[in-house]
Amino acid sequence: MDISPFFFYLFAGLAIACSTMVILKKNPVTSAFSLVLVFFAFAGIYALLDAHLIAALQVFVYTGAIMVLFVFVIMLLNADVPSFDLGRSHFLMRVSAGFSALVLLGIFVWAFKESSFHSIGGEFTLEKIEAAGGNTQVISELMFSEYILPFELTSILLLAAIVGAVAIAKRKLVGGRV
Amino acid sequence: MEPLKTIRPELLTMSEEQIRVLMPYFVVFGGAIVAMLGSVLKKLSPKWPVFIITLATLFAGVWVSIGLIPEGPVTLFNGMMAADSFSNFFNTVFLLAAALSVMVSFRYLDREGLQLPEYNVLILFSVLGMMLLASALDFIVLFIALELMSLAVYVLVGFRRADRRSNEAAMKYFILGSAASAVLLYGTALLYGCTGTTAIKGVVHLAQAEPAAVTPVFVLGVAMVVFGFLFKVAAAPFHMWMPDVYEGAPVPVTGFMTTGLKAAAFAAFFRVFINLGLAQGATEVVQRHFHDIFWVCAVLTMVIGNFVALTQTNLKRMLAYSSIAHTGYLLVGFVTGTRSELGFAAGTMYVVAYAIMNLGAFAVLTLLSGKDDSGLNLHDLSGLSRRHPILAFALSVFLLSMAGIPPTAGFAAKYLLFSSAVQAGEISLVVIAVLCSAVSVYYYLRVLVYMYMHEPIGSPQTLRVSIWAGVAVAAMVVLTLQVGLIPERMVNIAKKAVIGM
Repeated sequence: MDISPFFFYLFAGLAIACSTMVILKKNPVTSAFSLVLVFFAFAGIYALLDAHLIAALQVFVYTGAIMVLFVFVIMLLNADVPSFDLGRSHFLMRVSAGFSALVLLGIFVWAFKESSFHSIGGEFTLEKIEAAGGNTQVISELMFSEYILPFELTSILLLAAIVGAVAIAKRKLVGGRV
Repeated sequence: MEPLKTIRPELLTMSEEQIRVLMPYFVVFGGAIVAMLGSVLKKLSPKWPVFIITLATLFAGVWVSIGLIPEGPVTLFNGMMAADSFSNFFNTVFLLAAALSVMVSFRYLDREGLQLPEYNVLILFSVLGMMLLASALDFIVLFIALELMSLAVYVLVGFRRADRRSNEAAMKYFILGSAASAVLLYGTALLYGCTGTTAIKGVVHLAQAEPAAVTPVFVLGVAMVVFGFLFKVAAAPFHMWMPDVYEGAPVPVTGFMTTGLKAAAFAAFFRVFINLGLAQGATEVVQRHFHDIFWVCAVLTMVIGNFVALTQTNLKRMLAYSSIAHTGYLLVGFVTGTRSELGFAAGTMYVVAYAIMNLGAFAVLTLLSGKDDSGLNLHDLSGLSRRHPILAFALSVFLLSMAGIPPTAGFAAKYLLFSSAVQAGEISLVVIAVLCSAVSVYYYLRVLVYMYMHEPIGSPQTLRVSIWAGVAVAAMVVLTLQVGLIPERMVNIAKKAVIGM
């Protein structure tokens, strides 16, 4: 497993740059497409880590399904740019926010520099995974045995989200009365 | 090279005992599904069936959970979740809180034209999230449970869609909650990076076995998990938007949030930090860090909550700040938990007492509120004792309990909490807490003065109190006084729950 530093920095830099774009751009469609790029960059990092299945799923699910829905919703709502303009915050506020962000960054850089990372060798090495039938098989076997609880809970979470979405949408259609 | 063993046969089956201890979760989830099906009935209106199903589910859950309290701990699903007396104790609290909120909301939803079956279904899902949160032993499960609980509540907060304040509250709560989740998740990711495991116990064991593993990044991870939780319980200085959220949400939802959600977050908090660091065997340095963080947070939360509550004239907003103040007292229990005889039992007891009195107060507020949650200003309560003596009495009991005046649950809980803090040698903290508590008496008593000593203003409106809400309020009054007069039983159960973890 040898990660080429060049590609790692390329993808990580892309991810950071595009995430900044997501929050800085005033146009929602531009933001959404920046987010697509962020997800692509993540997929690249996963692929570098030899997690090919996750990389593929990232592209299919996030960039494919979820982001397309996002863009559709933005276009359907016809959200124009001014409605997203929240006005400028106070000068002092911006200075203090920027200052605290820098301090936090400093703390993180310091912490990562000071810490020594011994690589934790798990039992899941590349060769073993290959021998056991590849990424997809190992992940699916683990998901339905060892990680069955989080897996099932996620489906309950999605169910709750659907009910919530219905509750929000329903009243909008009928307007107060059901 | 030995081949990977990805499927361990013992994980594919469940013993009878495991299924039995999972019953409360099955009951609630099953009830949520049935209620969901009931809400799409074509022939008859789903109003009554869903209400009945929800209440039946919640009380069945209470019954099953209470029965399971004396049982020993059972680990489930590859050690990702535990069913023990601690989790069952808290399950009972959550289920009761939800049942009361549902009972109180029934007439309220009718009045506001919000009688949607989804309301009850979402409360059930939220309770399921709380129950899982109190029993999670793994950071992944913890996170998903937290999201399940919060997601349902985001929608409930914004349930009055036509109202701008409700929408604003939902939006603010969503942003706040997402930020909290993000911080928590990042902390977990750092811990996983340092230790290679997401199991809470695994992280602790590694930190104990290898002091070298406690690197700055590890500490940073723990700190972020702590901050994520403090966000969730709305402790100062992370409380910024919470009063707006509590004010904008529908009244019964505010009651549910300030009790159920807070209790759930504290239950998870207790479980994680009794295991992680605060437990015996952790290094001295980590303990001192925790102590300092919680000490500062507790003091800030108590001072800000109480002093801002002093200036509020809206009852709902006042109770919102008072809820923040109570978070501060709970954090006192957290600071001292490791070093006193009662340990975390005092904190647990306080969670229960607070849940009882706060639910009661919000139930009365729900009954008193007018259309669109109006009529909750202090002067609206003038002369309530003459217009509606029973409700005025109930509200007085709850407010006196929150102020910590005997013979109420609030007094017993506060006494235990502060005495355990004195035992732990936190004299300065107790002095601050008692002073804050004295300040709080002013704004609680002011409500009483308005209710009993001011002349009624305006034409008296008739209050319609549904049977359900009446029963709920009466039950809370009885519980408040009962726990206040005979706290022993509750304390013993709380002690057993904490030890049984």
